[in-house]
Amino acid sequence: MAMADTKSGRYASAGSSNSVVPLVQGPANLECKDFQEYLRTRQTAETLEKLYNYPPICLAVFRELPELARQFIIRILFVDQPVPQAVVTSWGAQRFAKEQTEATSCLSDLNVWRVTAIPGGLSAWELSPTFKKSVRQVLLGGGKPWPMTNTLEKDSKPRDIAFLDSYAMSRWRCVLHYMVGTGNRNGTDAEAISPDAVRILLHANLMKRDERDGITITRQGFQFLLLDTRAQVWHFMLQYLDTCEERGVSLPECLSMLFQLSFSTLGRDYSSEGMNSQMLSFLQHLREFGLVFQRKRKEGRFYPTRLALNVTSKEAATTMTVSDEEAMQDSGYIVVETNYRVYAYTDSPLQVAVLGLFTELLYRFPNLVVGVLTRDSVRQALRGGITAEQIVSYLQQYAHPNMKLVESAIQSKSCLPPTVVDQIKLWEMERNRFTYTEGVVYNQFLSQNDFVTLRDYAQSIHVLVWQNERTRTMVVQKHGHDDVKRYWKKYSKGGG
Amino acid sequence: MEPEQAASTETESGIDLLVIVLDTNPSQHIVRQNPQNLTQILEAVIAFGNAHLMQKAQNKLAVISCAHHATNFLYPQPRRQVELRQIDGQYEAFSLVEKTVKQQLGSILMNAPRLGSPCESLLAGSMAMALCYISRLQRNVAAGVKMHSRILVLTGSNECSSQYMTFMNVFFTAQKLGITIDTCALDKTLSLLQQGCDITTGQFLKVTQLDGLLQYLLWVFLPAPQMRHKLVLPPPPKVDYRASCFCHRELIDIGYVCSVCLSVFCKYSPICTTCHTIFKTPGPLPVKGKKKKKDKQM
Repeated sequence: MAMADTKSGRYASAGSSNSVVPLVQGPANLECKDFQEYLRTRQTAETLEKLYNYPPICLAVFRELPELARQFIIRILFVDQPVPQAVVTSWGAQRFAKEQTEATSCLSDLNVWRVTAIPGGLSAWELSPTFKKSVRQVLLGGGKPWPMTNTLEKDSKPRDIAFLDSYAMSRWRCVLHYMVGTGNRNGTDAEAISPDAVRILLHANLMKRDERDGITITRQGFQFLLLDTRAQVWHFMLQYLDTCEERGVSLPECLSMLFQLSFSTLGRDYSSEGMNSQMLSFLQHLREFGLVFQRKRKEGRFYPTRLALNVTSKEAATTMTVSDEEAMQDSGYIVVETNYRVYAYTDSPLQVAVLGLFTELLYRFPNLVVGVLTRDSVRQALRGGITAEQIVSYLQQYAHPNMKLVESAIQSKSCLPPTVVDQIKLWEMERNRFTYTEGVVYNQFLSQNDFVTLRDYAQSIHVLVWQNERTRTMVVQKHGHDDVKRYWKKYSKGGG
Repeated sequence: MEPEQAASTETESGIDLLVIVLDTNPSQHIVRQNPQNLTQILEAVIAFGNAHLMQKAQNKLAVISCAHHATNFLYPQPRRQVELRQIDGQYEAFSLVEKTVKQQLGSILMNAPRLGSPCESLLAGSMAMALCYISRLQRNVAAGVKMHSRILVLTGSNECSSQYMTFMNVFFTAQKLGITIDTCALDKTLSLLQQGCDITTGQFLKVTQLDGLLQYLLWVFLPAPQMRHKLVLPPPPKVDYRASCFCHRELIDIGYVCSVCLSVFCKYSPICTTCHTIFKTPGPLPVKGKKKKKDKQM
């Protein structure tokens, strides 16, 4: 019997791992990075240091930091010596040590501060001198003026905020229309977008070339359409910056200019005087996407629009005051009822196309589209890689103003009927009924005893996934495989 | 852990409104000692206000000056927008705060009536104005957006118990609206404001050295009240909860309380001055009681 052990080879590593992988990894989804993630993944310590020479970038970085980290920075901003680490630790409450560690590591990752040794053998934190200088300058002044702030004589025909808003939205919609292909069909020149913009869309995987050498929208592209405008602009700009260096344009300069625009005042004109040719072409691109308004290409004056303001901040959009809200009034057009019906007051093919991604469209009138959210239509969207969260946030973002006046909407956070929101989430959850665990199958045990011993051992170290006594089969977690194998070898040697 | 995280993201996304009430009364002890001090305080306050604005894009700031004769808004001034271009690398919004506050305060000080003898500042009135401003903004906030508001009082004035009633009304209103009141005392310990801070879970700090004022402000008052429990801040001092009497405005330990409106008096009076209730004379009652007691003992 002893010989039989080796012969039967107790474990057959039926490589469940290989077959599982494609199931676990869904097709690539749209990855939206915030600014902090972008800096962490794309930049090294040296390039970060270069970026910190630009005060607008520092301000943007500062606002992206965790709350606790911002307090730390402010407290050592005006301290000229390095501050011992123990002192910094003593500033935070014991109970929140974890949060504090996160904050400190975030600051180190972004190279905002670094460890230095101070006399007495203690290690201390020291702010990056460039970062410190730039932030102080932002806060208190006392440096060179930012570019584009040259004084201009008064504009004879100043543009008001309402005009800038409508201009920005119409420009941005051009890009979106192009993506769903509605722009081209109309055939007007105004709807076309520049080859540079197309290149960015291709680079970002939002669109791809198909076999007939045309350009079609990708799955990521559809997900992109579901984002709110601010997130769209930010994602698009990040992709744009990616292509910066290929075109030989300095990334820090572009980034600095982008943030400078984002910190500018709406409705005020700025000067493009003194910009080099690269920045001027960058400005022209921004003009095309609607981030700035410029009357003529050569005019040395431009107005930033709402799209450019606070590009990094996710929350700023939701916290607009009433007056701002009125300006963006046209954004709400969808009414969702508790019976899953969706009424969209729109005639834009783009909005209908997006809505059609996750609703079953029933009727179409000149200014109204009626659809219904069904299990099938939502599941189809989910299969396409769109998440329930994205659907809900889209409906919420473009909810008709009247939806927000319903009493239940005022009391709760969302203005959508809770039943619909829950159901969409449930439809998503029912697709996630499987949890995948990588494992190794053990079978062909020769005796019941062997099987029971090994199973009990696996159970005792908590690596057993599944077992069946009748067929003498068991599955062990992958990381426990080595342990169980070792135990089996020992057992079979000793016992056999 | 999760609800805490959710709470922290919520505070991150809300609007933080900070209203600074700055005592600009020229008869403050520290200002009379050295007029330069006021400039120094002003610089610190502006830098502090800007540091608050720097935290988040959606943060809001208001600065109110409080003197012996009037209360004025220093910032924001929506009607008289200062036309300015950035000149020294300071963020535009911050320069706007600095320029507006300085300009406004300058014109207020120039136009202030001359005062013969030192007068007390109208702190309670200014704080009430701050509360009104906060509640007005609160009403304009879009649905679903949280706004956290707080008031920071900076003063070098003395205790002003003549405004006791107004102070108490302000404190309890603030408490009810969930507004935190912080106080930075520059000269003396102010027991009334200390009570107010305690009621509204704010911080009270007495700064003895003006040189480090900004650093103190940034340390103690910059963190939003919702995140203060994550930081180690100075422990709350022992608060003197004595009330001041309504007749002479003096702090008293034991006094008479009107049974109808709860007004406090240091001396007995037959008619309550606040609600005009008429009391029976307390004369014979205690005498009787004493006699009975004596009888029993005998």
